[in-house]
Amino acid sequence: MATPGGPRPGNAPPNYNPNALANNMQNLQINQQQSSNVGGTAHRPPNTSPFGQQPPPFTGSRPGPIPPGVFARGPMPPSNPAQTTLPPNMVPTRPTGPPPGSRPPPFASRPPPPGALPSPITGTAAPPNSGAGPRPGPFSFSPLTSGPSAPPQMSSHGQVSNGPPAFGPGMAQSGPRFPPAMGGMPRPSGGPPQSPPVLSSGPSSQPLQVRPSFGSPPAGVSSSIGQLAPPFSTPSQAPPFSAPSPAPPFSASPQNMPPPPGSSPFSPPVPGVLHSSGSPFGMQTWPPQQQQQQQVAPPPLIPGAMQKQQMFGMPPGQPPLPNQSMSLGQTGQSKIDPNQIPRLSTSSSVILHETRHDNQANPPPPATSEYIVKDTGNCSPRYIRCTINQIPCTVDLLSTSAMQLALLVQPLALPHPSEEPIQVVDFGESGPVRCSRCKGYINPFMKFIDQGRRFICNFCGFTDETPRDYHCNLGPDGRRRDADERPELCRGTVEFIASKEYMVREPMPAVFFFLIDVSMNAIQTGATAAACSAISQVISDLPEGPRTMVGIATFDSTIHFYNLKRALQQPLMLIVPDVQDVYTPLESDVIVQLAECRQHLEILLESIPTMFQNNRIADSAFGAAVKAAFLAMKNTGGKLLVFQSVLPSTGIGSLSAREADGRSNISAGEKEAHKLLQPVDKTLKTMAIEFAEYQVCVDLFITTQTYVDIASLSVVPKTTGGQVYYYYPFSALSDAAKLYNDLRWNVMRPQGFEAVMRVRCSQGIQVQEYSGNFCKRIPTDVDLPAIDCDKTIMVSLKHDDKLQEGSECAFQCALLYTTVYGQRRIRVSTLSLPCTNMLSNLFRSADLDTQFACILKQAANEIPSGPLAQVRDQATNACINILYSYRKFCATVSSSGQLILPEALKLLPLYTLALLKSNGLRTDGRIDDRSFWMNYVSPLPTPLVIPLVYPRMIAIHELDEKELELDDSIIPTSIPLSSEHISDDGIYLLENGQDCLIYVGASVQQNVLQQLFGISSVEEISNQFILEQYDNQLSKKLNAIVNEIRRQRCSYLRLKLCKKGDSSGMMFFSYMVEDKTPSGLSYVEYLIHIHRQIQSKMT
Amino acid sequence: MAAPELAQTDPEGIEGVRMTWLNWPRSKVEASKCVIPIAASIQPIRPHVDLQILPYPPLRCKTCSAVLNPFCRVDFTALIWICPFCFQRNHFPQHYSSISQTNVPAELYPNFPSIEYLIPNYQNPQNYNPAVASSPIYLFVLDTCMIEEELEFAKSALKRAIGMLPDNAMVGFISYGTQVQVHELGFSEMSKVYVFRGSKELSRDQVLEQLGLGVSGGRRAGPGIQKGGAGPSPTAGAGPNTGINRFLLPASECEYTLNSLLDELATDQWPVAPGNRALRCTGVALSVAAGLLGASTAGTGARIIGLVGGPCTEGPGAIVSKDLSDPVRSHKDLDKDAAPFFKKAVHFFDELGKQLVSQGHVLDVFASALDQVGIAEMKVAIEKTGGLVVLAESFGHSVFKDSFKRIFEDGEQSLGLSFNGTLEINCSKDIKVQGIIGPCTSLEKKGPAVASTVIGQGILQLGRWSNPQLYIQFLTSYQSPDGQMRLRVTTVTRRWVDSTLGNEDLIQGFDQEVAAVVMARLASYKMEMEEGFDATRWLDRNLIRLCSKFGDYRKDDPASFTLNPCFSLFPQFMFNLRRSQFVQVFNNSPDETAYFRILLNRETISNAAVMIQPSLISYAFNSLPAPALLDVQSIAADRILLLDSYFSVVIFHGMTIAQWRNMGYQNQPEHQGFALLLQAPHDDAQLIIRDRFPVPRLVVCDQHGSQARFLLAKLNPSATYSNAHEMMNSGSDVIFTDDAFDDCILVGYGQGRGVCGFDVIGEKFREEENQLAMRNLQRAKKAAVLFKILSFFPRISSDVGESGASTVATLIVLLVLAITSTAAPLDTEGGDGGFGREKNERDECFLLCVNEKLCACDVRVAEQRSICCQNYCLEKCGSGEVHSCGDLPKKPICP
Repeated sequence: MATPGGPRPGNAPPNYNPNALANNMQNLQINQQQSSNVGGTAHRPPNTSPFGQQPPPFTGSRPGPIPPGVFARGPMPPSNPAQTTLPPNMVPTRPTGPPPGSRPPPFASRPPPPGALPSPITGTAAPPNSGAGPRPGPFSFSPLTSGPSAPPQMSSHGQVSNGPPAFGPGMAQSGPRFPPAMGGMPRPSGGPPQSPPVLSSGPSSQPLQVRPSFGSPPAGVSSSIGQLAPPFSTPSQAPPFSAPSPAPPFSASPQNMPPPPGSSPFSPPVPGVLHSSGSPFGMQTWPPQQQQQQQVAPPPLIPGAMQKQQMFGMPPGQPPLPNQSMSLGQTGQSKIDPNQIPRLSTSSSVILHETRHDNQANPPPPATSEYIVKDTGNCSPRYIRCTINQIPCTVDLLSTSAMQLALLVQPLALPHPSEEPIQVVDFGESGPVRCSRCKGYINPFMKFIDQGRRFICNFCGFTDETPRDYHCNLGPDGRRRDADERPELCRGTVEFIASKEYMVREPMPAVFFFLIDVSMNAIQTGATAAACSAISQVISDLPEGPRTMVGIATFDSTIHFYNLKRALQQPLMLIVPDVQDVYTPLESDVIVQLAECRQHLEILLESIPTMFQNNRIADSAFGAAVKAAFLAMKNTGGKLLVFQSVLPSTGIGSLSAREADGRSNISAGEKEAHKLLQPVDKTLKTMAIEFAEYQVCVDLFITTQTYVDIASLSVVPKTTGGQVYYYYPFSALSDAAKLYNDLRWNVMRPQGFEAVMRVRCSQGIQVQEYSGNFCKRIPTDVDLPAIDCDKTIMVSLKHDDKLQEGSECAFQCALLYTTVYGQRRIRVSTLSLPCTNMLSNLFRSADLDTQFACILKQAANEIPSGPLAQVRDQATNACINILYSYRKFCATVSSSGQLILPEALKLLPLYTLALLKSNGLRTDGRIDDRSFWMNYVSPLPTPLVIPLVYPRMIAIHELDEKELELDDSIIPTSIPLSSEHISDDGIYLLENGQDCLIYVGASVQQNVLQQLFGISSVEEISNQFILEQYDNQLSKKLNAIVNEIRRQRCSYLRLKLCKKGDSSGMMFFSYMVEDKTPSGLSYVEYLIHIHRQIQSKMT
Repeated sequence: MAAPELAQTDPEGIEGVRMTWLNWPRSKVEASKCVIPIAASIQPIRPHVDLQILPYPPLRCKTCSAVLNPFCRVDFTALIWICPFCFQRNHFPQHYSSISQTNVPAELYPNFPSIEYLIPNYQNPQNYNPAVASSPIYLFVLDTCMIEEELEFAKSALKRAIGMLPDNAMVGFISYGTQVQVHELGFSEMSKVYVFRGSKELSRDQVLEQLGLGVSGGRRAGPGIQKGGAGPSPTAGAGPNTGINRFLLPASECEYTLNSLLDELATDQWPVAPGNRALRCTGVALSVAAGLLGASTAGTGARIIGLVGGPCTEGPGAIVSKDLSDPVRSHKDLDKDAAPFFKKAVHFFDELGKQLVSQGHVLDVFASALDQVGIAEMKVAIEKTGGLVVLAESFGHSVFKDSFKRIFEDGEQSLGLSFNGTLEINCSKDIKVQGIIGPCTSLEKKGPAVASTVIGQGILQLGRWSNPQLYIQFLTSYQSPDGQMRLRVTTVTRRWVDSTLGNEDLIQGFDQEVAAVVMARLASYKMEMEEGFDATRWLDRNLIRLCSKFGDYRKDDPASFTLNPCFSLFPQFMFNLRRSQFVQVFNNSPDETAYFRILLNRETISNAAVMIQPSLISYAFNSLPAPALLDVQSIAADRILLLDSYFSVVIFHGMTIAQWRNMGYQNQPEHQGFALLLQAPHDDAQLIIRDRFPVPRLVVCDQHGSQARFLLAKLNPSATYSNAHEMMNSGSDVIFTDDAFDDCILVGYGQGRGVCGFDVIGEKFREEENQLAMRNLQRAKKAAVLFKILSFFPRISSDVGESGASTVATLIVLLVLAITSTAAPLDTEGGDGGFGREKNERDECFLLCVNEKLCACDVRVAEQRSICCQNYCLEKCGSGEVHSCGDLPKKPICP
């Protein structure tokens, strides 16, 4: 690869050496710097520069630093040619050169930095909760995991207790993000002036930094600045490294940390950042901080965040967009310094995000960051995120960019506890006001005219009469005078009480039906007992009240229902033996009110494992059981929770071990491998469609030690809006707790039943396709027997007309659903984004996380339908095409030897590489693992997509040492996923939202082992691991960290202890995606590969 | 041989055999001239005090396999016996070596033409291991589609029955409604049932597989016989309880379980749409039961005891649609082929019967419902398996309760249920068996003793006779209630007579009762099997032929006709048979007819004779109870009559007697005689009831009471409306025959049992109604009719007005639909309360009066049973509009 072209100066030296590196890596600069800056805290490896970075080089390369303006979304300040917008961002940033300093000032408002934060948090915390209260109602989260305790998180930093992950985690970085900040900042702060300068100078550097979005960007700024000035220097110089390391926290992870150098500067910034962000919004008030505190917060974030931004501006040509350019040395890639490579940096500070500012949409903070949204017209990015935050006016522009236009919709996403609850609006009998033509719901972008007597629909453009009782005069600004009092006119998301016409029948009760495999295997592996115990514990978490109904059945080669009616002395077991043609054994009494059967249920759950303990039936009639349970639920609909342990081998929908067949016939197997990832036939699909029709949602808990053909089974949950949980290989010892917590979250999380969702778009754009876990019977709507806060639906869009430059394009997601308490509601989220004709604007406003989520989901969708190699190529090509487009149209200035990455998408290659190495796209994965992966990905929310492919890794052996430095962040900075960061005497924790691996190096100190795991040598590690808390700081910290992660991920995580030299160690290292593996390139190699491809396209 | 002597007191004797002709005509031709076929009625395992039970296997003739019997000639010195059937000389085996003239084994005693062998029996091919006495199995199948009250009755009857079962009896339990629930009694953790869908027909193998009984030994030829443990679905549940023992437990072990299970058993929970019948899958329930029993060891005796509360409407065996507006098929529908479910259902039950027979199991049905439940369809399975059937209106009624109890009771009243019987008949060379009518199934064995013409019953003789005596040997092997296998051998001999020499011998050997019963069975059989068979004419013809052959008369001189006393009762039997429920089916539902016929076919001669011709005993002061003529004229105000029509026993108090009783004379010491008089018929009735199965309905009524119809229906209508006035004056009663109603519509429903005499729609009226011919009816006749009816139904009379005459004058038609509830009409204490006393009458009484301009309706309904009538009434009258008489339905079908 050596892209010879790499103008860069020194390329040669192997990246690895820090110092040397510096030179080599010209490329990374931008990021690095910033990152570094930020980095202090941030994990962001990107900057990596730490090591030596070649900062310098880059700068050069990046000439075009883009006028920051770009970002500035809305109003572009006239300033630079290219991006008007930019200015703002830039501005702030730049100035900061001296980041810290600068920022602070601006934000005078800021409260005290870090320290402050914490306190606020707590303080606020309380309020928030309460505030949140309302919503909590429905959604109160209880802490999921918290295993036993499950303290209500909300209350005291709830987060702590794993509970409701939802909020907690906030991602750090965001700090900067706040768009508002940007807006505000730039201008006011006089930043503007600076910006200009920045531009000039910074061009190169700037890009890297902060996402424009934040105005706040102080961080960004700083970074950018950094480049320009100080930052650069720092980064560039080897010192950074050293510095970084020194940097307190990071010391451990040199690389990431790098920023340190900068860090010092940064660190301050950090706080600043917060503030900054804060300030914009009136900061102090913001609760966000609170959260942060929990997290580590304040500090670091910036780096990462910052880096990205600036890019936009790019004027077509010159104005440098924020990019990251890496010169791949001519010498060849080899020269690249890994540490300069763009890396993910996490920041722990909380970002405040106003969805609109100055009547312009604010680009959202990264999905993985922790942020607090203030809904000022657009819906929170939690509910809808668009892959690009500006909408291309024409289809040509879009295809030129090679990016895709899609929305990720998560209609019931968990809000941050500090956010205002969604307002509920009741229009009474008449129901919400809607456009009479397209049926769009009233929203802040409907324009009232003619003294308020009529309004123009922002979707179809039709002019409607205002209903008489909804009439209101307009104020001088052309808005209705009551606009600010009416949530539906000033908020991006509101919830309407549905009137009668939205109901086909009475809202359904909350029905939970548990179906448990009791076949021989399930019994013997303890899966049945685990399921029963989990259910038993969860019973008390089900919604209270007469509307909650439960039912239970078990099955092996027959299906056993239980009559739980209170009048009976004991439960009555009813067996349905005909598994070819099933039926329900009772019309009523199989599903009864929870209040009526609690006692029977407890007795039953207790006795099931013993009752079947001698069961010798190995067959399992999964399909029949599910169907029979469905028949029992048919009248009401509801949730069917199935615990399955073996391959269904009898009755309708029985399956065969085709995996084995595939293996035995390798030649055919190779060619047709992907067929194993398709459902074997349509039986289950047909059933599932029927289930969906009757509002039955199936969740599947697979507790197995063998192949179960998830590809076929998963069709049922996927079609009915459910989810697959996969415990493989199931261990009664270590998985029981996870099973319980998963189940608990499943029933407790905010959710709705019998839902229908539709997305409407402004004229010119239309929905092309929905994808996710649902059933689609008509093209425009998505039927969701159940939907919960963790389900995301990808909505791909297409142009059917041109859009007007300067206009806005709106998207509205309407979800009609029934709450667990039996209220019929319509949640309406509206997002209005500016339209643009500028390619550079598209790149600048690209949302990396969302884009990548789409790429990932599409890849997952395609896996079953074609050879794996093809899917892998497609993923890489998608990445190349985008970068190529950028290179060709937005970064022409730079030398062909450089790999130039748009700032906003600079991590795309890394993610793409990680994707190629993920379970789903690996060639050596187990079929079931891959099927599960595909299924897991399908409804996966954006914030979890990144960690899935690029897990978070932290060092835990040094927790003690870091204590002082990271006082308010529970989770230490993450380490890049490269084995060079793993030392033999360290213990590392790696998590991807699902699994959590704890790797114990071979020469870890014995006392550490003793403290953490209660063992005295590595050899004692067993493969069934339960995390216990011992009475020492280290152990407490580890537990705190794990709990925090659980909370963030809304998942209990499967814990596994790994050690070098056995399969567990191999598994751990298989997550080191930046490493070279027998079947995959290292990160550097991959970049070079990409670079070459782009080069070849250029010519 | 000994038969003649015994005949007086115990006509069947130890043999249990009665024949139409004691002495047999010599040839086929002559036999046919005898009109009444040669037939034998056999009670194969009739209990008898003198019956000897031999604990060793019987000796068999080596050629014809007839069993050693008293008619064998024995050479005690040579130790040889000669078979009277084939004249084969057989050697006695070693262990008989000690026999001598003075030391004769029991089977050679002339006093024991019937004798029973215990133990092994080679006769029963189904029993491979006779040494092991397996416990009998009782599998109860309970319908739950009933109202709570009925279910409670049924449950308590079940509980009592289970309590009475011998400890070793194996018990199983199945309940059903819309679905079938097979209760696994051997599951200790909790109550466990297997549920089968009611709409799906299942084969035995499917049932077994789905019950986890897999394929027992049969298909798996492996050495390790793993009962029920293998197959595609290995045993369910816990280890030890693998096989059928999961479902069938000794009564002693499962009584508690069953009782608590029954306590919790509720009525079927599946919803029934308004206007629909409950979904009841009797067919599937029974076939699941049969399938379950299929897993028991071959040859084990087992009964399926079904308690059925209504018609099967779901799945195979359905007899009627779910829609209540479709009535259950009637005889008319069957005649017109308008019963769409009938044939399919019969076929289903036929197959079921075959399956049960091949397993050696029995189906008993206890039906209690006001509506029909499908006995007509199930008959085939019941008869084939030799099952019992009891038809009652309610599970709370004594007809059911006592009958049911009697099955399980120990002691003298026990029915001594046995299982798995096989009857073989050996006969002399000149005789062949033509067929059997009765509760059994042919083994379809071909052999020299079986005639090629099947059907009918009778033993047909061939031409030549070489021996003055003919011999017939009946071999019945069966499993006794205590599980032992037994073989009963009955050998009889009869004499050939040469009828060309005169009829005297034949006449003297004629058994009128047997002949009547044989004719009844034959007539019933032909009515069922032969399309368009006119039983009345057939009977008439045969009676005439018989009389002309055996009567003495001069041509053209009716007065000269005399009949030998040996035939004197026969015409009377025939007369009553013509009027009986066996021949006159149209007043009965097909179910009832089937029920009557099943009983006719299984009861002894004397009982069957009672069914044909009820006995009537009169009680009066100053005389002993005496048989009375079965005629209206036997009714008198100062008499008490006791009518035994087999299915019901009626105690009928004359008007005066009733008045006295109402005044309480019987309680006064000075009228102790009256008390005794009152008591006597009750005592006698109890005697009758005690020995009878099914237990008859006891009706106690008074003259002019509504329930008097039970008696009147059986009496000879020597008085009709035309001479009503004179007759009534004499204190007697008027009977309304069909003729009386030809010009009037009068439909009075009792329980749909047809016992009342009012189920008639006058044909004449129907034809003439449109011409308003009714106007021309003589008012006097109408007055008599109406008066009569109104007195039966006091409630109605109050509606109509007290003075019958004046009101009547304005009426053109009076149509009464009276559906009496289960309790009311049966309530014998109620006396003449008509529909019973207030507390009992839970439902239904309809009065529909139609005159030229008025249509009124009084409907009171409680249960769905009356829905069809209700619908009818509502349909006709609910609107309150005027309907012409022409709207009346052809067949108002009730319950």
